[in-house]
Amino acid sequence: MSKDTGRKRIAIMVGAGYIPGINAVVAGASLAAGKLGWELVGILDGFEGILHPEKYPDGGLIEINPRVLNLDPNTGSVLGQSARIDPFNVRTINKDEMVEEVDMSDELLNKLKAEKIDAVISIVGGKGLTILYQLHRKGLNAVCVPRSIENEIASTSVSFGFNTALTFTIDMLDRARLAAKAAHKIAVVEVQGEEAGWIALQAGIAVAADAVLIPEIPVDLKNVAAHLKDKMSGKKSWGLVVVAQGARIINQPKNEEPVSSLKASLSPLATSDANSEFVIHSSGQAAQAVATGLQLRIAEETFPMVIGPWVRGGSPSAVDRQLGVAYGAGAIQALEAGKNGVMVSFVPPDIKFVPLAEAINKIRTVPAESMFFQVADSLGIYVGK
Amino acid sequence: MINQTNNILDITGRVLNIQRYCSHDGPGIRTNVFIKGCSLRCKWCGNPESIRLKPEVSYDPKKCEGKKCSICLKAPFPEGGFYFVEGDDAKVKVNWQLAAGTTEEMVALCPTGALEMFGKIMTVREVMEEVEKDSSIYRSTGGGLSMSGGEVMLQPDFTAALLQEAHNRGINTAIETACNAPWANLEKVLPHVDTMLHDLKLMDSERHKKWTGVGNERILANFKKAYETFPNIDFIARTPLIPGVNCDDEHILGVLEFIKPHKNVIDYELLPYHRFGLGKYESLGVVYELDDYKTPSDEVVKRFQSMIDEAFGRKANS
Amino acid sequence: MIKSLGHAGTHRRVAINVGSGFVPGTNAVVMGAAIAGGKLGWEMIGIRNGFEGLLFPDRFPGGGMINLSPELIENLDPATGGILGQAPKVDPFHAPSVKGGKKDLSDQILKRIKEEDIDALISIVSGQGLGILQKLHLKGLHTVCIPRSIENDIANTAVSFGFNSALSVTIEMLNKAYQAARSASKIAVVEVPGEHAGWIALQAGIAVRADAVLMPEIPCDLKNLAKRLKDKISVRRPYGLVVVAEGAKLVDYKVIKDAKSSPESIPAGQVAGTVATRLQKLITAETYPLVIGAWARGGNPTATDHQLGMAYGAGSIQVLKAGQNGVMVSFMPPDIRFVPLKDAVDTVRTVPSESEFMRIAQLLGIYLGNRL
Repeated sequence: MSKDTGRKRIAIMVGAGYIPGINAVVAGASLAAGKLGWELVGILDGFEGILHPEKYPDGGLIEINPRVLNLDPNTGSVLGQSARIDPFNVRTINKDEMVEEVDMSDELLNKLKAEKIDAVISIVGGKGLTILYQLHRKGLNAVCVPRSIENEIASTSVSFGFNTALTFTIDMLDRARLAAKAAHKIAVVEVQGEEAGWIALQAGIAVAADAVLIPEIPVDLKNVAAHLKDKMSGKKSWGLVVVAQGARIINQPKNEEPVSSLKASLSPLATSDANSEFVIHSSGQAAQAVATGLQLRIAEETFPMVIGPWVRGGSPSAVDRQLGVAYGAGAIQALEAGKNGVMVSFVPPDIKFVPLAEAINKIRTVPAESMFFQVADSLGIYVGK
Repeated sequence: MINQTNNILDITGRVLNIQRYCSHDGPGIRTNVFIKGCSLRCKWCGNPESIRLKPEVSYDPKKCEGKKCSICLKAPFPEGGFYFVEGDDAKVKVNWQLAAGTTEEMVALCPTGALEMFGKIMTVREVMEEVEKDSSIYRSTGGGLSMSGGEVMLQPDFTAALLQEAHNRGINTAIETACNAPWANLEKVLPHVDTMLHDLKLMDSERHKKWTGVGNERILANFKKAYETFPNIDFIARTPLIPGVNCDDEHILGVLEFIKPHKNVIDYELLPYHRFGLGKYESLGVVYELDDYKTPSDEVVKRFQSMIDEAFGRKANS
Repeated sequence: MIKSLGHAGTHRRVAINVGSGFVPGTNAVVMGAAIAGGKLGWEMIGIRNGFEGLLFPDRFPGGGMINLSPELIENLDPATGGILGQAPKVDPFHAPSVKGGKKDLSDQILKRIKEEDIDALISIVSGQGLGILQKLHLKGLHTVCIPRSIENDIANTAVSFGFNSALSVTIEMLNKAYQAARSASKIAVVEVPGEHAGWIALQAGIAVRADAVLMPEIPCDLKNLAKRLKDKISVRRPYGLVVVAEGAKLVDYKVIKDAKSSPESIPAGQVAGTVATRLQKLITAETYPLVIGAWARGGNPTATDHQLGMAYGAGSIQVLKAGQNGVMVSFMPPDIRFVPLKDAVDTVRTVPSESEFMRIAQLLGIYLGNRL
């Protein structure tokens, strides 16, 4: 798109899964757009509002005007709650009443054109980011605001949503610690982090946990148990172990039981190997596995707790409210500068723009030299190094 | 005539897997041919690789040589489909969304076989070669060829051809199906079927739609028509028992009620399922959303079983 | 035998201990009592871990008893619990003995109390603890009890301390659960504290405008709940929130396996799962269970519980000074009073059907399990 500053109509949408504070991003974009005399419309529920407008009695698009819309940063998201964002695989029932996935990306692009939308701001991470990139390759004028609870998007130092999740996690870990202390047990708490251990590590340090298990460093529970026993031999009768969802345990006694014939007959590629790619990454599994594994090796009682389901609620932290507004405004800035197909990236103290092609597939895990490991070490927190 | 036979043997289908020594797919010990592609989207499905008709790439990180290799990061592989993460982790990672364009030709380039395709095109001839290996076992146990998936009715020409050829070679046939397909497809396949195991997942259509993606009217109509049109097939009804979904008296009684008038429905089998965890199941782009409840308890299953035994006029097993 | 005290209500050495189970803010109570007692010139002694510090002092590296001196109290943080630990979940009248079988430790306890020259014991306990203290009192222990309960089910006191904190946490968690349910378009079924009474479930449920609240006081027929939910949940509003107390009862619930448990009760921690599974069969929308349990029992006390804790602590000293014995301190706003232990024991305060909260809930359209 050329750098003309004629009146533009920008759409903004959000990816799957609710994150507190979306309204802040929308507010930022809305203010910046307003200054340029541009229109901002929100698409409800990811792309659903524009692909299937018939599902919305009041229409699938909402005009976002700060004076009309009460964008309370604390209440949910004006863009809907349950986003369905994959226009390349839309589940439909065909004329033969059979369920199938259909590529509706062309239809999406046409509908966007029909609505006279010049560009789309997408508040996404992970898969949503890839999809945005694919749409961009097909001609969509797109800007991504990176959102991620785990903060694994490498192209930006802090994704939107991370600080809130971290704050919340620390809060919950504090509670877990008190509960463990009162009950004289070892709390094994599962926190967010399927690919990167930022949340687990930073929160674990904040609450001075006894051990933190992250996806970057597979651990042998034998060593964790030994460390706990050491720490608990004095006056301390309780413990706190923080486990990232994607943490990996090595040297688990192999599940010797062969796949039951029934399972095999239902699922031809079934394996009993829990690390097979076909195993569901389920919330709670990591805490359970670690709690059970530790219990076999230690006298004190372990009990698993899971933070996962609670993370998707609550208010955004102060940091995320500011960051949200900055990101939202940054997205409009990018469009004004004629940038297309970029991700707004926060590299303190600046906002930069990274081409989507460079932003996808870049996962930032906790590097071995990270200062956090040294801090953890000095606090006596076991991380498996 | 010779041309006809050759035609049958050359008919192709997309096969997921061929499994030998199966004991839960019909009478005796059988060889089960799984074909790819299903017309339902059951939320509890344990094999997402069978859901879509088109071939899909599979990845085994254990076999990957990682940064030493990097073949899949370059053309002809889809751009961005495969990538590395900075740091110590040496294995390739898959961006399933972008890797969707991977083909069999590309996958052949992977030196270690870490990348493979789900869903091979196979001819009837090739499949029968596998199936015939256990011919003596079929004879001694009353077993034979089974077909399952996915949904066998989605590739009716291939399925019919395979079953017909099995009969030609004296092997009995069984299929496992949910029958969510046009009757025309069933009409092609059923003349070659000896035993049909069929799923009755939910009797309430609204709930059926919620849990499998589509209502059940056409499915039930298909069943009824099949019972009536093919008196010589042994029909075995089945329910995957999912806690919270259909694991209750109402469903069992509903199914018994439905099959009662038809004497060729000779049994009703229960398959207790484990509901999986909350969270994302992301492979092949499938999002899996069931929650973590327990498997149906033994007592509950026993109780249902005795209800079924009673309905069929059998003594309950102790 | 009751030790002669000289002037009625004049004590020299008063001990404080804490019953089993964790309740946030116990320190505030200890502080209140210690400061008030100190001002009267009394010696205030804390016993660690219920009666353990008295019976088995060698188990405690710092000794089984703590001198609650003004300097120590200065440095106590009322926001944290735990300086006195808490009792193990053991009835001293039926303590498991190493050799197997049960032992009665009560005589030993009374003996040790005499040995330590303790004139009276202030005990911060829950409903069950009250019963134990009552029995000890009948054997001669001079005692005043302070009720603590996160469920607020101790009758004869309007508000136990600990309740406000638990209620606060529960409301916070329920808000999050509601958001999560909205985000996933499902019905969250959340289990909250409340084994004997539905105060937390009801009050929290009102605060977050839940769609339904299931309490022990009103057995619920899930079929009716399903009907009500079907009315409320639509395309425009494809999510919901059902709050379930730990002790909620279901009509028609039978435990097939365990003949010992009563026909209507489900173990805490599994109530949400059970209700969610059964509800699932009756409606199309997807349900999913969440348990607040442990999260509500950890955490810092609210400001209200700080004050209440201090008031209870100081109140207990007042009561002792007035010469009372074998009583429970009771907070009946705006006064602090006391009731005989024997009247306080074994009374559970459940939510009465005329309660204002019930009325408010119904006005807000919250389904409580009554007949439709």
